[in-house]
Amino acid sequence: MTPVASLTDVSKRYGATTALHPTSIDLQTGVIGLLGPNGAGKTTLLRLLSTALPPSTGRIEVSGQEVTGGHAERVEARRRIGYTPQEVVFPRGMTAFGFLDYIAVLKEWKGSGARHAEVRRVLALVDLGDRGSMKVARLSGGQRRRLAVAQALIGAPELLILDEPTTGLDPEQRASLRGLLSGAADTVLISTHQTEDVAALCDRVIVLDGGRVRFDGSVPELLATATGRVHIGPTASDGAVQTWKTGTGLVRSVGGQPAPDSSVVDPSVEDAYLLLRAEQRFTEGVTS
Amino acid sequence: MTVWHVEAPVWTAYAAGTLDPAAEASVETHVAGCAECRAAARAYAAPAPGVWEAVQATITRPRLPRPLRPLRRLGIPEGDLVVIGASDAITVSWAVAVAGALASVLATTLAGVRQELAFLLLVPLVPVLSVVAAFDATDSLREVAEPTPVSKLRVALLRASAALAIAVPATAAIGFVVPGLGSLTSVWLLPSLGLVLAALVLHTWLDAWVAAGVVSAVWVGVVSSVHSELDTVTAQLLFAALAAALAVVLVLRTTTLKLGGAR
Repeated sequence: MTPVASLTDVSKRYGATTALHPTSIDLQTGVIGLLGPNGAGKTTLLRLLSTALPPSTGRIEVSGQEVTGGHAERVEARRRIGYTPQEVVFPRGMTAFGFLDYIAVLKEWKGSGARHAEVRRVLALVDLGDRGSMKVARLSGGQRRRLAVAQALIGAPELLILDEPTTGLDPEQRASLRGLLSGAADTVLISTHQTEDVAALCDRVIVLDGGRVRFDGSVPELLATATGRVHIGPTASDGAVQTWKTGTGLVRSVGGQPAPDSSVVDPSVEDAYLLLRAEQRFTEGVTS
Repeated sequence: MTVWHVEAPVWTAYAAGTLDPAAEASVETHVAGCAECRAAARAYAAPAPGVWEAVQATITRPRLPRPLRPLRRLGIPEGDLVVIGASDAITVSWAVAVAGALASVLATTLAGVRQELAFLLLVPLVPVLSVVAAFDATDSLREVAEPTPVSKLRVALLRASAALAIAVPATAAIGFVVPGLGSLTSVWLLPSLGLVLAALVLHTWLDAWVAAGVVSAVWVGVVSSVHSELDTVTAQLLFAALAAALAVVLVLRTTTLKLGGAR
């Protein structure tokens, strides 16, 4: 199957720092979660794919258009991309509707009738249908976050790229945004720190660390890497990556040698992620 | 008392507006005194779907800043005016132009023997500050705007033209208001064009006011060292060449992959 987007040997350097080592990824249809610690290169990867940032090396394609090629091809690719950066600083004085209207013009919606209808459509999608005339400064943090997502939805893009879209949302808003994102575009790439979002929403997980892809597979495949390695019992496992006392008074241990009277429990995406990170740190310690 | 009620065919005709005026008046007089018919009337009232939605659509639709509204009638595309008027940036830009021109008049008038120096230092920068002000309000949205398909060159030229439409006449007027400026009244034009283009090029990397700061500092340096030479033909040709070169750089910066805002 032809991928919706692909990166071939793409890397990004800032002076002497390498934010992303040469990376090749194909993105098919579905929701893809990007996990990784702060500074792992998640935002760099998303910005490269969104065309906000040029790569130092490599080739990026979106819907058959080479982003890293000529100007015309890049513009054509941009018509198929919706992107929400990690932080959107809204200009002073703009209303929610005015902000989306401005972005819609930048997305080549020329006729005001169709454009205003599209703005109303995306406002309703993020549950801000009745907030259009409000100044952005008067919206709550969660509402501003949803407004930032709404601008990416203008024109129903094929590829939706969202950098931590669920940050600052309460559980209900997160669930509602998940519902929206699961059908918002052919391919949705989201970076997040919320491992529950990945478990609930994503067909595929990519774990990035130190500017390299450490894991790329389905959620069950990620969970399989932690199967049999998470235990619960009266005492912590020896050498566990993380342990904590649960509400029942028993201790949950991720990794390590299990205590004799503990039992194996099903791992969560978070457990698998913590184990991957620990292995990564161990490898780095051995090689350095 | 006669007990009669408006019958279904009469209601239908009334609702459609096809009753003759006398019958219509009779229905209305009756309904005013008959609760039963008032209740029945609701079933024949034309449905009003979407009325509230239409009202809401009208009140939420953003209006263009007042100074831009007449331009629609001149045939300028509404989308272009949305870009120019975003976040009221153009109103600020025009205010900066007028304030800058007034401040220049004041400074040039009070400068006495250093009138020429004051004029050359300040006046060419007025259009620069006005153009930069037109970009400042939406600068924070670069990360969102950059990956949109719109031509960044077109946006830059639209904003700059809108700013200069007021800034150039306001600046040119200084030469006519302040006496004794002689040939200086036209000397500022080419350097100012170069400075505006330099600010636009720098703005593809830097925030608007930082770009303005760099351009202003360079200009102050140039004027302090060679201000007496600026009205020579050679100097003017040099500024024209510089402006042409910067225009080429601006086109390249907004169309090649080394994107503006890629910091």
